[in-house]
Amino acid sequence: MATAATSAPSAGELRLQRRPLKQPSWWVRNERLALGLSGFIGLLIVWEAAVRLKLVRELFASSPSAIALTFVQEFQLRSFWEGVGVSVEEFALGYVAAVISGIIVGLIAGWYRRANYVAAPWIAAWYATPHIALVPLIILWFGIGLGYKVFYVFLVSFFAIVINTMVGVQTSELRYIEVARSFRARDMTIFRTVVLPGTLPFILTGMRLAATHAWVGVVVAELIGANAGLGFMINLNGRMLHTNVVMMGVIILGIFGIILSEGLSRVERRFEAWRPRVGADA
Amino acid sequence: MGRLQAIDVCMEYFQERTGSRLSAIDCLNLTIEDGSFVSIVGPSGCGKTTFLKIVDGLLEASSGELLLDGKPIKGPGRERAVVFQDASLFPWFTVERNVAYGLECQGVPANDARQRVRRFINMVGLQSFERHFPYELSGGMQQRVNLARALAVDPELLLMDEPFAALDAQTREVMQEELLNIWSQSRKTVLFITHAINEAIYLSDRVIVMGPRPGRVIADITVDIPRPRQLSIKRTPKFIEYEDQVWSLIEHQVKSSAEFSGQVASAG
Repeated sequence: MATAATSAPSAGELRLQRRPLKQPSWWVRNERLALGLSGFIGLLIVWEAAVRLKLVRELFASSPSAIALTFVQEFQLRSFWEGVGVSVEEFALGYVAAVISGIIVGLIAGWYRRANYVAAPWIAAWYATPHIALVPLIILWFGIGLGYKVFYVFLVSFFAIVINTMVGVQTSELRYIEVARSFRARDMTIFRTVVLPGTLPFILTGMRLAATHAWVGVVVAELIGANAGLGFMINLNGRMLHTNVVMMGVIILGIFGIILSEGLSRVERRFEAWRPRVGADA
Repeated sequence: MGRLQAIDVCMEYFQERTGSRLSAIDCLNLTIEDGSFVSIVGPSGCGKTTFLKIVDGLLEASSGELLLDGKPIKGPGRERAVVFQDASLFPWFTVERNVAYGLECQGVPANDARQRVRRFINMVGLQSFERHFPYELSGGMQQRVNLARALAVDPELLLMDEPFAALDAQTREVMQEELLNIWSQSRKTVLFITHAINEAIYLSDRVIVMGPRPGRVIADITVDIPRPRQLSIKRTPKFIEYEDQVWSLIEHQVKSSAEFSGQVASAG
């Protein structure tokens, strides 16, 4: 009884915050990374064991060691790197276009009431439409080359940025605007010193969501119609029962996705020095 | 400079929700002499804050006239600055940048601004906190920043909108005493809005008592207690007499509105 009571953390303990007096150790600072990584490695071990013990068939499940070998082989091939390059290019062009235009449209549609009246129905309608349904149309316009994929990636990532930016501007707190007006700030100054800082967290969240959408978009577009890229590679090897190459492709996609969202959430945190951290440390 | 005259100031507005007109302030007449410290007390919803916003120029009165040193008030001006209620500092700016805000809006060159900002940060006792963000400060410290931000633009009329309302009782007393110290150095005209009767008496040359909606002046009491005032004067018979006098003016209204809300609560 007594041990059970001490081992289970009480609500008070969970909420207890300790503020560090010195730079915490590497281990403490990277606790999140370390724990995440060990869970990942654990799964790999279970997987390998299951294949070795013939609990699952290698043709369907491949195995971590076979995939690792595939990595080594493929990394030496020029064609592999060209495929990666194609996917990254599609992503970068579509995503950057979506970020730039999404922020601009979002700021305008959030700040100017009348612009919002005009744009909001379109944004809502386009966001609610499953973009994948437009693929046949887009292929009709662009063929299955770079243009189609960039446009599709743009389409799937644009709205997350527009909507977040717009909401950010619209939720600018009136009391801060009032303070600014009292100090005779001009509209542009209010925009720069009140609206934009308040909106930045929303924009960054939109960018993070959009990056994930965009990366999925790259793969979807390549699965449907392509002759190069990671999605194409997966599709082709799947048909030829090269499970290990498929798995490798999926892993690369996953790693890239993690790097993207992790990198962007780091940027998010950097820009929010002014906000107190919330949430449990444990 | 800094003489404020309010002549027959009325504030009415259309309430969209109920579709009716609401009279917030009814024919308010008031003159505040240059360099004096005047408080307005009154029950919640009597239009105190509305009046302050009209004086600041954030709201336009429906009728009547407001003159500052004889010139009509049209919109916010550099000769007025507001110390707002709690949580009005820009959370994304440091203390330094918050205090500099008014100067930034006026286009004061960065070098001049930096010196003035430092001076006022020192004046409110926040040196070494320049680079902190508001959330890292206590409520009392945040309101010091708020005060410094208003003082930095060197206004002739300082408008204070219940600046200490959210502070705990002890901090509040300390802030009152410090406010008087700072005020005695500059002798700006101050219009101070508060709920707290004892705060109003302690700080002010005159206490204006406003009645419930529609707001109007129901008493204008001159506080004849010599300055500088220590916090200990709050326990002198004379001070308590003033408190009783103001409270007797407000008591009836507060009680009736409390009863009213009690009825609403029990009916609901």
